[in-house]
Amino acid sequence: MDRANSCEDGRIWRAPDGVHIDVRGLEPPQPMRAILRLLDLGEVDSVAIAHLDREPIFLYPELDERGWNHEIVQFGDVDNGDEVVLRLVRCNS
Amino acid sequence: MTLAASFLADAKSRLLPASIPFRFFITAAVFHLLMWLVLLSAAGDATSFRGGPGPALAAVHLLTLGVLTLTAIGASAQVLPVATRRLPTAHWPITLVFWLFVPGLIALCAAMYIRRPAVIAPAAAVTAAALIIFAAILADNLRRATSLPVVAAYGWAALASLLVLAGLGVALAGDYQIGVLPDHAAVALAHMIIGGFGFMGFLALGFSHVLVPMFALAATPAKRPAYAGFVLAVVAVGTGTVGAVLGSKMMLTFAALIGLGAAGLHLWLMHQALATGMRKRLGLSFVLVRGAWVMLPSVLLVGLASLYDLAGPNGPTLFGFLLVAGWLLTFLLGILQRILPFLASMHAPRAPGKSPPPISELAASRPIRIHSICHAVALFVIAAAIAGDMPELLRVGAGVGFVGAFAFLWFTAEVVRRLVPHA
Repeated sequence: MDRANSCEDGRIWRAPDGVHIDVRGLEPPQPMRAILRLLDLGEVDSVAIAHLDREPIFLYPELDERGWNHEIVQFGDVDNGDEVVLRLVRCNS
Repeated sequence: MTLAASFLADAKSRLLPASIPFRFFITAAVFHLLMWLVLLSAAGDATSFRGGPGPALAAVHLLTLGVLTLTAIGASAQVLPVATRRLPTAHWPITLVFWLFVPGLIALCAAMYIRRPAVIAPAAAVTAAALIIFAAILADNLRRATSLPVVAAYGWAALASLLVLAGLGVALAGDYQIGVLPDHAAVALAHMIIGGFGFMGFLALGFSHVLVPMFALAATPAKRPAYAGFVLAVVAVGTGTVGAVLGSKMMLTFAALIGLGAAGLHLWLMHQALATGMRKRLGLSFVLVRGAWVMLPSVLLVGLASLYDLAGPNGPTLFGFLLVAGWLLTFLLGILQRILPFLASMHAPRAPGKSPPPISELAASRPIRIHSICHAVALFVIAAAIAGDMPELLRVGAGVGFVGAFAFLWFTAEVVRRLVPHA
């Protein structure tokens, strides 16, 4: 796994399945901002994987507006510290 | 159903059914319309209103309980469980709040309008009971809100204020019939301070710390000044409420000055959020929000001036009007213009192969424009009517406000109507 970046807006790294961003531990709405910044900067070709503390309900309309589909690939028991993993795919890719 | 579709259906089930929050928002929009209508009929007394049963008191409560509180309950019920990662298990408590609160409020406002103290007291008790159930729901959510410490701090302060507010409200309602309070006007002022600056004010300030950065796509406001602003706000509201009950001019002055400090810090934090946000164009809704931010310190300055008889004979009325309509209602309507299409979009079905409606498609722009213009004109005209003691001018302002409220109801109904074809 190729670690690409680490900053206050979450940890970002590239992997064979896409660009990963880990925004766990950030206070809302920082996770949403970090994910949108990653997408807006054009650093993701077609697939991004976001690792979150909670389901980002307010992110979905923003993704729709930007032309990204989303899919929850893991929704653990958040009360036990499990992460939510969201797969973002650019429309028409 | 594919695996992905099953996950997505599951995601939607983690939200309250759309019918629950939207019944609060639609009913609030109807009360908003009714409020301007009642104010229109109360114009003769409203410019110099100081309290007491009658149409003006009914209009005030249609606004504070019918619009502000009802919306706050709907928004909290929808947003807080998501933010606190608590899955909504039972829907009946929030449904019970609605079905206790709305009939109680209708009875309360009708009894105030026709000056029937025998009905005011039991109606106030029913409304207060609904608020106490809401307080329990809010407390359950807040104790889990560890990831939103500033919002939670304001939430707890709002909850404490709500309990005092409800207690004072029931005491005031009972006083109309059995006359137990030594100084009704002093308790009424405390009721207004703890309700306007405390319960609703704390919710407005607290939610701003997450909603404004979210809309502007900005970083979370800095913690230290945020907590400093919170402490100042709590001290100001506490001192103001106690000062009102005791009739202490010194305490009220101190409260207003501390409140100005809290407002200044809050506005600076909000300015920082907007200045550093990724989204610069925030639309018409933020014109209203910015207008409300101008009103926040203005209310305190008018209150201070009125305390020293420098705001004219109707200074106290102007203070009350700017607090509930200028600051709180303007802020709330600005946020609602922005968040209603957002919430509707969250509820849109996401079946595989079918895109949900984009936010811009869910919001009609014409009613928003009409509403925003009418709201601003109504505020300006009514403030002038109160300052100049001109009931006819107040009628004009209330008429313009009514048109604006109709446009807002149209906007709310359009959001729901445009969501339905996608369902």
